[in-house]
Amino acid sequence: MRKSLMQYRALLVQSIHVEWANAERWLSPLLFAMTILILFAFAFGRVDEQFIPQLFIAATYLTAFFSLQIAFSRVLEPDMQDRVFDQMRSYPISPSAWFLSKFTLVLMLGVMILVPTLLLSHLFLNEGRNNLLSGSLFVIALIALLGLGSVGVLLSTMMLRSNAKQILYPLIYFPLTTPVLLAAVESSRAHLVEGASLENLLSSWLGLLVIFGIMYFTLSLLLFGELIKPD
Amino acid sequence: MLEIQELNFHYQYRRIIRQLSFQVKPGEILHIVGPNGCGKTTLMSILAGLRREHSGTITLRQTEGHILADRRTQVEYLPAEANALFGKMDAMRNLQFWMELRDHKPSVDAMREELARWDLDHPLIRENFPVERFSTGMKRRLALARVNLAQVSCWLLDEPLYGLDSRGIATFQDMLEKHQAGGGMALIVSHDTAPLQKFAIQTLDMKQEPSR
Repeated sequence: MRKSLMQYRALLVQSIHVEWANAERWLSPLLFAMTILILFAFAFGRVDEQFIPQLFIAATYLTAFFSLQIAFSRVLEPDMQDRVFDQMRSYPISPSAWFLSKFTLVLMLGVMILVPTLLLSHLFLNEGRNNLLSGSLFVIALIALLGLGSVGVLLSTMMLRSNAKQILYPLIYFPLTTPVLLAAVESSRAHLVEGASLENLLSSWLGLLVIFGIMYFTLSLLLFGELIKPD
Repeated sequence: MLEIQELNFHYQYRRIIRQLSFQVKPGEILHIVGPNGCGKTTLMSILAGLRREHSGTITLRQTEGHILADRRTQVEYLPAEANALFGKMDAMRNLQFWMELRDHKPSVDAMREELARWDLDHPLIRENFPVERFSTGMKRRLALARVNLAQVSCWLLDEPLYGLDSRGIATFQDMLEKHQAGGGMALIVSHDTAPLQKFAIQTLDMKQEPSR
């Protein structure tokens, strides 16, 4: 257990160092998100007040989804250089520690993208007319991030081990993430438009979001160990 | 002791390794030779745990009667065509990472001492200087420093002399001598045989067999 914790810490710290040393890796998804939101704001112009929450939800999740996809698909890229990934496989590393370190990194990157996306979306699309930002909305977005992040790490690892790298990621990522996205959008809409509380939502869309998050996390944790085994 | 018995490996329909058996005792160096494509690197990657053998057994004993459940705890692999270094990180950060993964407490003094042995301890080289800017030989020296700091009993070195100058080769010989004297084992694939001639080595000739 102590050894796994030490390995988790070492892997996470190294991943953060690598990300920090290459600012382009986390800056690109952020700039992409900003560009998309500006385009949305210009394209829609001044929107009738009653449609603002729907537009806010659609634009935010669409932008966040694609920005996160860019970030997640590249999360294991530094490990591909100079056969670092293979070298790590030749070390007695706990698969759980390895997966959890990458998952934590993905969550950190996700929050770095998601929070500015929410704030910018609110700034550009809402024009300060209503306060759409709330703690509950951030909670919904974070739960969605858990599910998307798990799938992101798993698929990035699959890409490293597969010959069909380019085609595999979008083919699997999009169908797997659709239920998470739908549940996140419906939860956010019910919260912002109908004023539903998180407690009420737990028995409907938010509950589904939580279940998908747990399911994807567990599946990814188990499958990751298989992906790093000898060929 | 490392013991390999009746090892078989095939790639698609081509048999790469066939009924291979040998053993390496503590303090022994095994020089693996053979023509290109005969399976030397494949054998190394199987022993490193990167590929799975199709049949046969690989046993690594730490002491007599004590078989390691996971041989990777006592095996350090140096691949032929790569050094497994994070290009954006400096030399110290790279060494620290690999040591931490082996659950060794990375001491700055120990790392600097190892870097000094490989002429990499200059303040402008060891820190805040990304490894991607190193020359081929410097990268190889840093990778060999990692091998030595791993503190394991079995080294798998695939073309370890690639890119090394005469001074680097002398340092490698010194490192290998100490490892051997300490009861360590080394399996070496190298087409450059001259630097190994000063050692009492065993040779494994993997003659290429006709494809079946």
